[in-house]
Amino acid sequence: MARSAALDRRFHWWCLAPTLAVLAVVTLLPTLYLLATSLTPLNLTQPRTAWDFSQPGRNYTFLAADGRLHGSFWVQLKLSAWTVGLQMLLGFLFALLLNLRSRFLEALRTVFLIPMVLPPIVVAIIWKVLYTPDISPVHWALAALGWPMPALITHPAYALLAIIVADVWEWFPFTMLMILAGLQMLPQEMVDAARIDGAGAWRLTRHIVLPFLRGVLLVAALFRLIDSIKAFPLIFILTDGGPGTVTEVTNYYSYIQAFNFSYLGYSSAITVVLVSATVVLSAIIVRAVGWGPRSE
Amino acid sequence: MADLTRRTFLKGAALAGGLVVRPPAVLGQAKPFAGVTIRGSSFQHVFHTYLKEYLPEFEAKTGMTVDFAPQAFPVYNQRADLELSTQGSAWDFLNITFIYSGRWIGAGWFAPLDELVNDRNQTPREWDAADFVSGAQSSLVDARGATYGFAWEAGAMLMGAGRADLIEKAGLKLPETFDQLLKVCEATNGKDGVAPFVADKLHHWNWIPYLMGYGGRVFKDPPGNLTPTLDTPEAARAAEYYANLLVTYGPSGLLSYTDDQAMRAQLSGRANMRTQALGWLSPLAKHEESKVKSTVRYALMPGGPAGQFPGSNSHGFGIPVGAKNKRAAWAFISWAMSKETLRRITIEKGYTTVCRRSIIDDPAYRKSMTFNGQDVAELYLKVLSLGGKSGYMKYRTVPVFPQVGDKINKAIERIATKQQGARDAMKQAQVEAIEDLKKAGVKLDA
Amino acid sequence: MNRRAWERRLLHAAVVGLVLVILAPFLWLLQMSLKTQADIFAFPPKLVFVPTLEHYRTIWDTAFRRSFTNSAIVAVLSTALAMLLGVPGAYALSRARFRAAGSLTLWILVSRMAPPIAFTIPYFLAYRHLGLLDTRTGLVIVYLTFNLSLVVWLMRSFFDAAPRSLEEAAWIDGASPGQGFVRIVLPLSGPGLAATAILCFLYAWNDFFFALILTRTEAMTAPVAVVNFMNYEGWEWGKIAAGGTLVMLPVLVFSFVVRKFLVRGLTAGALRG
Repeated sequence: MARSAALDRRFHWWCLAPTLAVLAVVTLLPTLYLLATSLTPLNLTQPRTAWDFSQPGRNYTFLAADGRLHGSFWVQLKLSAWTVGLQMLLGFLFALLLNLRSRFLEALRTVFLIPMVLPPIVVAIIWKVLYTPDISPVHWALAALGWPMPALITHPAYALLAIIVADVWEWFPFTMLMILAGLQMLPQEMVDAARIDGAGAWRLTRHIVLPFLRGVLLVAALFRLIDSIKAFPLIFILTDGGPGTVTEVTNYYSYIQAFNFSYLGYSSAITVVLVSATVVLSAIIVRAVGWGPRSE
Repeated sequence: MADLTRRTFLKGAALAGGLVVRPPAVLGQAKPFAGVTIRGSSFQHVFHTYLKEYLPEFEAKTGMTVDFAPQAFPVYNQRADLELSTQGSAWDFLNITFIYSGRWIGAGWFAPLDELVNDRNQTPREWDAADFVSGAQSSLVDARGATYGFAWEAGAMLMGAGRADLIEKAGLKLPETFDQLLKVCEATNGKDGVAPFVADKLHHWNWIPYLMGYGGRVFKDPPGNLTPTLDTPEAARAAEYYANLLVTYGPSGLLSYTDDQAMRAQLSGRANMRTQALGWLSPLAKHEESKVKSTVRYALMPGGPAGQFPGSNSHGFGIPVGAKNKRAAWAFISWAMSKETLRRITIEKGYTTVCRRSIIDDPAYRKSMTFNGQDVAELYLKVLSLGGKSGYMKYRTVPVFPQVGDKINKAIERIATKQQGARDAMKQAQVEAIEDLKKAGVKLDA
Repeated sequence: MNRRAWERRLLHAAVVGLVLVILAPFLWLLQMSLKTQADIFAFPPKLVFVPTLEHYRTIWDTAFRRSFTNSAIVAVLSTALAMLLGVPGAYALSRARFRAAGSLTLWILVSRMAPPIAFTIPYFLAYRHLGLLDTRTGLVIVYLTFNLSLVVWLMRSFFDAAPRSLEEAAWIDGASPGQGFVRIVLPLSGPGLAATAILCFLYAWNDFFFALILTRTEAMTAPVAVVNFMNYEGWEWGKIAAGGTLVMLPVLVFSFVVRKFLVRGLTAGALRG
């Protein structure tokens, strides 16, 4: 071949250089700034605190002693576990249901896009309506059946549940679509072979489909898990972290510290912890998808 | 073509206005601010609703456009705090919220107004800054005596009962003590589908009179000593009492109510009593959507064993230091706070909580504050004098109050939703408040 | 055979029923935006009513309209910029072998997945000095944090899936690598480019957090305007519903038009093969 590898290489570098340069400016620099801020007691009411590195560990010491922060970790854990679990389950069931060769069902798939492409803030408004006793058809219907429901979002036992339901509604189509895409790659021969061996629907699912989908399931779950750390609009609109701190996840607490109380330094320290969690989870995804160093 | 020339002319006029070194006398000029747009915000309040109705007149007279977009109380405070902290120029005028006044003025985020007030080219003599009630102005003035804002409201907490008829029917009177309040709630609970009590979720304002009525306080001795005193038996008792009011006698979903939602609940007759600033209660008698005009009655905020401590505060318009067009902003503020505008808002619209002495002393004002034969002006002035006398409101203007207030809100929510007992919840609030104050570098008692 | 047809019909009916249940919350908001205030508070809820466009008319006459323009401009610009910068980079990553590919991928994924507050704090602090608070430019730049990484992530998977034989044929005909990319690869990647651009647009349009913190009045976007409105008009549910509907309308239309590519875009990158 007449083409030189050097020419290729140069072209690729020219393509990649602007991307990386801009990406570095818009993401790496801010991350360094965030790290630096987390080492200062920055508080905008006191401008002198801006580059004060005299006690770099101070925020991290507060972090270890902050009960409300630890509570928020726990809330986060509950929220993530329930939403990801339910989304995987529902996503899987719906994917199985829709994975039949039928034009009609294929057309219907589009409809499932709606919850996940809606602006999250609109999703929050939708659920605010359903959770407001004065106008909610759900409250009305249950009351008419003689089973009145308390206002969920101000009830400590149900507030988190209310958020979970809304979040699952918004995002189970994502896991569904992922699993559906995975299912469509399932070789028909495998299914046929199992059928010939006399496998019923349950065994087919358990021994053929699930193992085949393992990679897809893992990646879908990880994506949802990382996303669940970002939960904001639903909490902002529905509960504001309350009642008390029942629905206050770490991300939300960090937001309050930074933008309600102006403790930007402390909030940065909390955020550094969140980013670290994102890095670890993303690393697992990269491994799972096999996009690590290539060995083709 | 004609349109084009006109626009060019306007543009030219605006340019000239900005370039001339010594500004021409603004007063007396026709449309001195043609083409200028100023932006402002405040928290939502009936005063602003009324003010906006007169705004077109001002815009026609000066040629400026005023983009005035109020927001809900917590949202406004948060966004304004954020914007002020950057010393940005997004807004030309803003409300100086009482609980933030110490923080915002102390940090130098508002511009002093004295120069504009004393400039006869900007402000006519008869505008008379001294006419503002000094008690209402005290949170808008700094230690050196510079003025940063002018008060449009002197808030005074009263009790308003939209369905006083239900209370009378039960053979009772409007309550004067916490015990009586409970009795009235109990006696009228569920009557006519009306919830006896309603409140918004700003417990750090609504609850404090109950705290003080039971003999408690927020800080040891503000503003000198800011050691929180939230873990006292009095605080626990007050919190328990108040949380019980909310859950037992409030409408379903009450804990998420904003100011406005609580007012709507009263206006529509779905809830009866509320203890809030008069500004939120007078619409019951005056608002066109009010269904309780004929049954509303007012009373002083009930008291406890330690006495009566109705909340009082004031809010005023000021100009952020980063504002682009301070002269235009002042033109707006001085118009909005002028004797004439305020008089019209009080007399024509029935706004009650004005801060100009000349209006308060006017018999027409007294008349407009007579609802269903009841002289509410007297109740109102009584509250204002109570607050001024002993200085029990000082806790509110310390710069760290917003954070401590948040701890109080959360604690009341925890109690009201039975997640914690009153004692534990208040103890936790105390611990959190101390930690927070340490973060802010405040010196506390050991 | 007949029994199977029956089963099929039954299944379809069940699926339609499920879809209706899933969509009910969304449809409820839609119908609410067309009801009068009195109808909204009516119990039992009216399913048949005389629709009104009153709520839409009133909010369209407010500052809400400006926020719409802001949203559209910011979303389009940030998408264009991200595509322009990201597509060549994605191509290079797909074709070349870089030793640092693993960490690069991680970096890109983290940028895309990081909680918005991680970028909001530093951007907020820096924008104070750069004068970019409350400007559309400021938002366009911030949206690059997630959109640029999104473009690289998605386009790389599209390019990975595209056969190399065509480019190689072009090279044999004497085309340079650049010409091969522009003339052969790009035109063939139409669907991938469309899906990616639309996803970028969606993410930028849907953003709430960045706009909440970084804008005030001048550059305020539609999602923030709706929330402001909601906080202000506590009980005006008709207007809130109308505002929400307006914000989601462009998104719905877009998604419907390109639904096929969208499904691919949403799942691509997570699946290899």
